[in-house]
This record gives sequence, C-alpha cells and structure tokens, in this order.
Amino acid sequence: MGPAALFVVLAAAAWQLMAVLVDSVLVPGVGDVAGELVGIVVDGSFAQHLGITVLRVALGFALAFVVAVAAGIAMGRNEFVRRFGEPAVLLGLTIPGLVWALLCVIWFGVGLANPVIAVALSSAPALALTIYQGVRSVDPDLLEMAHVYRFSRTTRLRRLWLPALAPSLFAGARLGLSLGWKVIVLVEVFGMSSGVGYQLNNAFAEQNVAAVLAWTLLFAVVMAVLEYGVLQGLERRAGRWRKAVIV
Amino acid sequence: MSELATTTAIRLDGVGKTFVDARTGAPQTVLDGFSLTVDEGELVALVGASGTGKTTLLHIVAGLSTPDRGTVEIGRPRLGVVFQQPRLLDWLPVRQNVVLALEAAGLDPDAADTVLEAVGLTRYAGSYPSVLSGGQRQRVAVARAFAVEPDLVLLDEPFSALDELTARKLRLLLQELWMSRPRTGLLVTHNPLEAALLADRVLVLAGSPARVAAEHRIERERPRSAEDPYLFDLHTRIVAALA
Ligand SMILES: Nc1ncnc2c1ncn2[C@@H]1O[C@H](COP(=O)(O)OP(=O)(O)OP(=O)(O)O)[C@@H](O)[C@H]1O
Ligand SMILES: [Mg+2]
Repeated sequence: MGPAALFVVLAAAAWQLMAVLVDSVLVPGVGDVAGELVGIVVDGSFAQHLGITVLRVALGFALAFVVAVAAGIAMGRNEFVRRFGEPAVLLGLTIPGLVWALLCVIWFGVGLANPVIAVALSSAPALALTIYQGVRSVDPDLLEMAHVYRFSRTTRLRRLWLPALAPSLFAGARLGLSLGWKVIVLVEVFGMSSGVGYQLNNAFAEQNVAAVLAWTLLFAVVMAVLEYGVLQGLERRAGRWRKAVIV
Repeated sequence: MSELATTTAIRLDGVGKTFVDARTGAPQTVLDGFSLTVDEGELVALVGASGTGKTTLLHIVAGLSTPDRGTVEIGRPRLGVVFQQPRLLDWLPVRQNVVLALEAAGLDPDAADTVLEAVGLTRYAGSYPSVLSGGQRQRVAVARAFAVEPDLVLLDEPFSALDELTARKLRLLLQELWMSRPRTGLLVTHNPLEAALLADRVLVLAGSPARVAAEHRIERERPRSAEDPYLFDLHTRIVAALA
C-alpha cells in the first residue's frame, strides 16, 4: 500500500473511531458519509453543481490571470507602474476573501458576474505579485544577449520571457486557484442558488453533517486533482530541461 | 550617428563612463576621454589587468551600455558576441541556442551543425546546456557568435575557460573566420600570446580611468603559428607593458 493510500485508510479509521466514541448525530460515521457521497454522485447533483462552480472559478481565474499578467509585467518593467501598483497589490493581498464575497453579493446580486468578479478580485493580487517577482528575476544578461543577436519580439517572448516566467506563472496559478476556490464557496453560500457552496449551505440548514462532509471531500479531491495533477503535470513538462541537471 | 569614413568601422571619441556603487554611492570613473578607432576588417586585442574596463568598453561598442561622455560611431553591423559568461538559454538544447541566433540573422538554421562540429560539440547538439561543462558552454557561445556570419565580432575572454588543446583549435577557427573574410573585431584576453597570435593590433590598457599604455601593430599573414618567433617576441613585449 502506498503512503497516500495508507493516509486515507488511517484517516477514515480515526474518524470512525471518533464517531463511535462520540456517538452523536453531529458526528456521522464513515458509512453515513460514504452513503451521502455515493448518493450525490449517482443522482448527478455533484456533477451538476461542481460543473457550475468550476465554471465560475475558471472564468474568474482567467480574468484575474489576464489582468495580473499585464499588471505584473508592467510593474516589473516600469518603476512608476511598480510604485503605483504596489500599494494596490499589498492591500489586495490582505483583504480577506470573505469580504470580497460579501461585497460582490451585495453589488452584483445573483448573476454570473458576482462569483466571477469575487474570484478575480481575491486571486489577482497574489498572481500579480508572483508574476511581478518573476519578471524581476529574469536574467538581464539574457536580455542583452537577445538584444545583440536581434531576436524578434516573438522569439524574445516565446523563447526567453515565457520559459523564464514559467515557474512564476505556475506558482501564481496554483496560488490564485487555491484562493479562488475558497472564495467561490463563500459566494455560493451567501448569494447563489447553485454550486457546491449552495449545496453546502443546504446541508448546513438541515444539520446534515454527513452531506457537508461528502460535498467538501468530493470538492477538495477535485480541486486537488486540478492543482496537483493537471498543473504539476504541465509544470513538469515546462521544466523538463531542469531535470537534465539531476540525471 | 554621422557618416563614417569607408575604412573606419568603430570610432570612440573622448568616451567616459562612471559607475556609482549601488551600496556605498562611491563613483568610479572607469573610462575618461577614451578614444579608439578600429578599421574595417581589423581585429584589435585588448589586454590589461582585471577591472581596467575592458568589458565595459566591449559593452559600449555592443550598444549595451551608453557612455556618460563622448561619442560612439558604429554603423549597424551584424554582431557576433561572446560574453564573459556563456549566456545560453538553459531551457533550449545546445543546437537550438545557435539556431535562434541564425534565424534572427535570417540565415539557414542548418549552419548550426557545421559550427557545432567545428567547436567539437556535435554529440551535445541535442543536450541542454545544464549538462555541459563550463568550457563546453563557452564553446556553444563561440559557435553562436561565429555562426551568424558577423560583421563585428566582440569576444570577451572567449577561450579562457578552455583547456590548451581546445583553445588552440578555437584560435585556429577564429583565424579561419578572418581568412574567409576579414571582419572587424575586439578581442579581450588575458593571454598575451593569444593576443599576438590573433590580432592585427594589440592595445595594453592600464590605470583607472583606463588609458592605452602600449600599442603594437602585427602585420603577419594568417594562418599564423604560435611557434612564430616574431609573435613570441611580441608577446614578451606585451608582458613587459603589462607589468
Ligand atoms: N554595472 C556596474 N556597476 C558598477 N560598477 C561596475 C559595473 N560594471 C563594471 N563596473 C566596475 O568597472 C570596473 C571595470 O569593469 P570591467 O568589467 O569593465 O573590467 P574588465 O577589464 O573587464 O575586468 P576583467 O578582466 O576582470 O573582466 C570594475 O572596477 C567594476 O567594478
Ligand atoms: Mg571583463
């Protein structure tokens, strides 16, 4: 058994032990949680609400990414823009996602704009900061080399900036996504009538702890697969040249 | 930039450069009233103690650094530059590093294979630079500079990281480059014999700000041999000027 599987089994066993010891409806056993889990997967509600949530996160994240890449590059290249943007980024970083969720519910109501903007606002500052730092760390010696050999703008972008920024882009994406999916759940709890957060709120209203756990577990697993599976896979591809050192 | 006389490729006139130490704020004048003229097709070697401003001079000629005072006249020649560090794109294989420069110059990418063979790196063409030794990386930088059919060649200690046998091969390669067509060049080296062997003129730089302490013209057909007693004699005079 692999260490990861071992962790899952031990965690489930510990939970079950606690449930037996506490013996309360507020701490359902592993069997109850598993029952809920299978239920929401089989009746299709998980796929449906997860789909909506993921769409909202994706749109908001895409918006944040475009804005943050532009802002981060501008800040890294221009002293005035840096000094102008820095307070905004630092302020943005310290504002809790909960505040964005509340404000966006008030301002944008139940439309698609609400969750998308909330996700964008909460993830953009971290993304911009990571990308800005990435731009600053691009080796000026290589830019000089590209200059004397008269690399075209396209070559410079594709062969120099993009690979040099790849680590920051991935770090930013991971950070932005993790902030985004935490905020989306809040927005959906407060102001939406669909999505994983909405379902969590329903379960909460019915005091259905097993359902809360089932939704959370499934959602966390999907997000983890996205973050570690997809992103890390891409990152490994982009960083293949680095491996050459180790071999 | 004004019109250059047909035979003058580079003209520096009264060039000054002062660096300010970012930490202490202390200014350091590396060049002051420095003048230099290099003819079309002439290879000038710069020798001189560490820190005299040779790299600074090269960067000014390459257009990477603007002098604080004085004028610089260079056309817009195609550059082949070997920096003091190789400056390779670590995420691209060796061949691709050369190919990018070739493509930017509008030349056939396959020329990369010829030049990589010439510097003895054919079997590393597909490798990432990170698996190469320091000297091998430097050879990639030399290959890149020679591949682009440069009009102006700027070499900052290009062979210093190489074993003597490899260095000899590359010095011969450089001579062949000049024999195929004379190009304008600046060669920074700490090796006086190398300067005498390769250059049409050797400038010994000294002092701070840097001035030309000695100048030697070398009129010898290429290919030249390091065994040539004339060049050896010259090298001893360069060493004397360095002291
Ligand atoms: N960007 C910079 N900022 C501050 N000082 C600099 C900078 N570049 C060069 N210098 C200083 O200018 C002087 C000349 O440097 P340069 O690199 O031109 O010397 P060099 O002759 O090439 O030496 P070496 O033979 O060791 O390569 C040095 O004292 C160095 O500290
Ligand atoms: Mg130097």
